[in-house]
Amino acid sequence: MNAFHFFIEYSIVGIASGGVYALIALGIVVIFKSSQTFNFAMGEMMMLSAYLFYTAAVTFSLGILAGMVAALLGSIVLALVIERVALRPMMGRPFIAIVMVTFGIGSIIRGVVGMIWGPNDLQIPAILARTPVLIGDFFIPGKTARAAAIAVCIVLALILYLRYSRAGVALRAAAADTITAASMGIDVRRVVAFTWVIAAITGCISGVLMANVNTLTPHLGVVALNVLAVIILGGMNSIGGVLVAGVIIGWLEAVTGLILGTEFREITPYILALLVLLVRPTGLFGSRGIERI
Amino acid sequence: MAAALEVKDLEVVYQGVIQALSNLSLSVPEGSIVALLGVNGAGKTTTLKAISNFLPLENGRVTRGSITLGGEDILKLPPHLVVRRGIFHVREGRHVFAEMTVEENLIAATFAQRTQRSRKEAFEEVYAYFPILSQRRNQAAGYLSGGEQQMLAIGRALVADPAMILLDEPSLGLAPLIVREIFEIVARINREKNVSILLVEQNAVIALKYASYGYVIENGRTVLEGTTAQLSADQDIRRFYLGVETHAH
Repeated sequence: MNAFHFFIEYSIVGIASGGVYALIALGIVVIFKSSQTFNFAMGEMMMLSAYLFYTAAVTFSLGILAGMVAALLGSIVLALVIERVALRPMMGRPFIAIVMVTFGIGSIIRGVVGMIWGPNDLQIPAILARTPVLIGDFFIPGKTARAAAIAVCIVLALILYLRYSRAGVALRAAAADTITAASMGIDVRRVVAFTWVIAAITGCISGVLMANVNTLTPHLGVVALNVLAVIILGGMNSIGGVLVAGVIIGWLEAVTGLILGTEFREITPYILALLVLLVRPTGLFGSRGIERI
Repeated sequence: MAAALEVKDLEVVYQGVIQALSNLSLSVPEGSIVALLGVNGAGKTTTLKAISNFLPLENGRVTRGSITLGGEDILKLPPHLVVRRGIFHVREGRHVFAEMTVEENLIAATFAQRTQRSRKEAFEEVYAYFPILSQRRNQAAGYLSGGEQQMLAIGRALVADPAMILLDEPSLGLAPLIVREIFEIVARINREKNVSILLVEQNAVIALKYASYGYVIENGRTVLEGTTAQLSADQDIRRFYLGVETHAH
């Protein structure tokens, strides 16, 4: 085994974890696009979704498939309640006030989850097979590879859906110009609610995947902080950018972990994001807007 | 014929203190073209925003008066429902979605559709009135010329199959030839589809040419109204809006 071999193997593993980052980032970006709300509760929403899955699949013995459906439905209902009760009344308020509301929601979810399920790790049923995947000579841990495959498929499906569906047009219209969107019969509040549903879906799937790759704890949501770098890199309002940025950040984390040591893993994505912001303040794919008079 | 749109004694206040309209009344009969004339800041655009109910989005509100469409009170309807009742507001400055293609701009307008017309049928009608949009259908709207953007803005209204179009400053920043072309098409839409038009226009010459009836607004109130023939003959209108030297004694 030479060093180059290790490098490639780490790279593939990193890129794979980037897929899940992209899935989480997508949930944050769609909400930001529709309502300029940065949802800091995304990590906690993921974590709660994973607990919902655990409860449905294990406690109520519904099994994996029905458990997943129950968790998705529960997550969607919860996201709609959060949007309706906590965020819709904040419409038009300063950005920072809205951000603080999402922080608060995150803390509440963490507290409630601790009260109900306790602070200890839980083992959720194995969805992802452990058998390693072999790409050429390179071994990829089975769970990571399968989680990445699922995440990337869902991200691609959502990107295509938002690109070509009528709902996607409504989202982009509302994001570009609220008044004009309303003038064309688009109910902007419904568009915002729709983006919370998308965030609930990506959050639920990524939460269950993360709980599978690692374990289920109330701290599961911390990973959403790494995703912040993904969003900065991709551009706050770029749906397509999340996938590329997620893969870059995932790769970078793994490779710096290998070369510089694990203590550098956490900070490198932010250093990269900072450098990108210095050169391109809108991120790699964020729009600057076409202007022509 | 019954008045399609009736605005009575409208008072509008912005930010709780700034009075934009004080006592404005007008009516737009079915199938007609009605012009609102007046200098900058007279309250023409505010009148249109009151009808389409954009005011709350700009911290303004109607404090007195009524707006009815075919007898139904539409004052409290949110904007996306006003347009679904058949009043489509083509905003000043066109406001096309610059990063979306021409066709995507039209798709966005399908949310305003009242009738069960298919998307294909609606788009074909738009392309029949504005053939240039058909050629540009897959281009980003931001790269269209000003005149083409105005055509797209009116085309979006056509998708909705509206009973009435509120048309705000369609000639803004466009060459005279393009302005004429656009007004000819608007007149055809009015005639062929029986869509009434409430027109706000700085260019009084062209507004009086295409409209059948007009209102002159000053400081948020209607000060003069009449058929466009009457208005065109009016001494003050001739002097202040048409720039014609008159020698009244």
